[in-house]
Amino acid sequence: MTRRQRRDLWLGLAFVSPWLIGFVVFTVYPVLASLYFSFTDYNVVSAPRWIGARNYTDLFADPLFGKTLYNTLYLAAIGIPFSLGLSLVIAMLLNNKVRLQGLFRTVYFLPSVVPAVAAALLWRWFLNPDYGPVNEFLWQLGINGPGWLADPTWSKPALILASLWGVGGSMVIYLAGLQNVPVALYEAADLDGASRWQRFRFVTLPMLSPVILFNLIMGIITSFQAFTNIYIMTGGGPSNSTLVYALYLYQNAFQFFRMGYASAMAWVLLAITAVALVGVFRTSGWVYYEARS
Amino acid sequence: MTPRPSDRPTTRNLRRRSLRAWVAALASLALLSAASAQTEITFWQAWGGSEGQALQALVDEFNASQAEVRVRSSFVPIGDGERILASLAGGAPADLVTVWDWMVVPLGYGGALADLTDDLSAAGVGPEDYLPGIWEYGAYQGAKYGVPTTINVYAFMWNKDVFAAAGLDPEAPPRTIAELDALTEQLTTVDARGNMRRLGFYPNVTAIYCYAFGGQLYDPETLEVTLDHPGNVAAFEWLTAFYKKYDIAKIRRFQAGWGDMASPFNPFYRGQIAMQEGGQWEVAFTREYAPDLNWGVTNFPAPEDGRADVTPVQSSFWVIPAQATHKAEATRFLLWLSAPEQSARFAAALANIPPRRDALAMPVFADTITPHMQTYIDMLLTGYVYTPPGLPVGLYLSDQLNQALAAVQDGTATAREALETAQRNVQRELEKYR
Repeated sequence: MTRRQRRDLWLGLAFVSPWLIGFVVFTVYPVLASLYFSFTDYNVVSAPRWIGARNYTDLFADPLFGKTLYNTLYLAAIGIPFSLGLSLVIAMLLNNKVRLQGLFRTVYFLPSVVPAVAAALLWRWFLNPDYGPVNEFLWQLGINGPGWLADPTWSKPALILASLWGVGGSMVIYLAGLQNVPVALYEAADLDGASRWQRFRFVTLPMLSPVILFNLIMGIITSFQAFTNIYIMTGGGPSNSTLVYALYLYQNAFQFFRMGYASAMAWVLLAITAVALVGVFRTSGWVYYEARS
Repeated sequence: MTPRPSDRPTTRNLRRRSLRAWVAALASLALLSAASAQTEITFWQAWGGSEGQALQALVDEFNASQAEVRVRSSFVPIGDGERILASLAGGAPADLVTVWDWMVVPLGYGGALADLTDDLSAAGVGPEDYLPGIWEYGAYQGAKYGVPTTINVYAFMWNKDVFAAAGLDPEAPPRTIAELDALTEQLTTVDARGNMRRLGFYPNVTAIYCYAFGGQLYDPETLEVTLDHPGNVAAFEWLTAFYKKYDIAKIRRFQAGWGDMASPFNPFYRGQIAMQEGGQWEVAFTREYAPDLNWGVTNFPAPEDGRADVTPVQSSFWVIPAQATHKAEATRFLLWLSAPEQSARFAAALANIPPRRDALAMPVFADTITPHMQTYIDMLLTGYVYTPPGLPVGLYLSDQLNQALAAVQDGTATAREALETAQRNVQRELEKYR
């Protein structure tokens, strides 16, 4: 390395140092500290006491660990496909050149900019079993609607229903993806006499597959971390039916003063997320990368 | 331009000027040293709106009353536990902090709070100065980690108009659990859709019935957890029967339609619940949100062989962190703030009850006592006062009690099994502190 290169290196490092220092102090250190705490009995205010892997063994004996993991996986397994599908359908509709296209796009994206807390409160009212519009509508059809958030059987579907309102984020990404599909491919398909479905199946879908993969990964990560809307809409109830992993982790850390246990939970969640993502990548043969072909 | 004669610096003028400068310098030095002798303490208080203003008025009065300590208060919501916890763990807490009762012993026992025992006894404050059962509240193994701000006390409320409309004697609330069961059945109604329109009675705070059935959540003497106490099991069996009879699914559905407690849509004010538990704040709430409500308040009903005078008490606490920079000054302010006069004024502003015995008779509070409020006070003075368990496991115990309730509601465990599981879990957690 020449003197000049060395100087440039130091200058470059100096310029990024605010971020580097912030990253080390506020991300790297807490992450490593939580790994250490996960092997201790730590109530935040007293010094942590080393207990080996006991938090991890306790975790597997805790019925709420299994329950919260099940709730989280349920919301992810059912919610993500619905949200991916719906946002794709909306994006394709909004990609049509119609009058007031900009207005429609804005309207469908709007829920995504509503603060999570406000949206959660709104949905709580919307799904109210007695006077909420959803059940009132069902009653007009002669159906006595379910208790939604108040019923352990329906509370998770209700949360998924409410989450679909916020598909605007992934919709915008699809929309950007759709606009990148070369028109020439559609023209070629037309010449070959492809039907609308075939155009979608053999042109749109493969060309969009990297975007779908991206939305799937983001969906998995956000589903595993679900907290705010559930904390406000149900607080984990009724009967722990919506007690998700992150909510239980929060309770342990800040209400039960079991920070060591909560740290262990966080690391297990990281491992589960990592396994899920590796699984997704391993099975991502369906993704078509134009640049590689 | 030539200066005028008077502006010209003569020797005499210069001398006079330097004398003035000296005097000014000396005066500002004196002022500076006076200011530095004043210690500023930080106070995290937890009340907004008019309640916060009432507390600020007390702070201002204290600041004006002496020159040594200056209290700077800031509003930190009591629910912001993470912020309080982080400040304590980080070793940079405020000098005086407001916390929930369930935080006091876990934080104190963990070494994060100052033990106030010596300071209180040096100031001549003792158990006899507080209402029965309150001195021990927030204390653990002989250490007193905080002072209650104001007291919330629960009692049994009934809607007299709903009673009268149902053809019942509006002046005859239930005295026993059997009477309560009979009235609940008479007052519960269902609409054409099969949905609940009115619930005769709604048991919200499970612990009350544990105590009413003769049980207890922990033994205040031995500090052992007693969730599987036979009285608790009996209470849970009664609750199980209640949820079975009125169908927990229907109750939950009905409950989802209840309005905010602090609003005209409170289900009790609207007659959606005929009988319920309610604290003394209802005196102020009904005045504001349901001025025409015709309600009564009395002791909780109990089984024939149970406890007839159960008085559940809750409070927030003022605590001084062990790492506070100005502990002595914070203690001085806390002693002033919790003295009978100030205690009475603050409780009157909050429509709560002052924890200090002498404060009850102070005109500023005594003049606000309504007949309803008097019932709450009488219960405090003569009843079996119980407070949330002051144990290092904090909220974990109440959560386990809720988990046990959820298990019996869903029929996944019997009352005994559910409580035994909760007992085991809490006991194991408590062992970590031994």
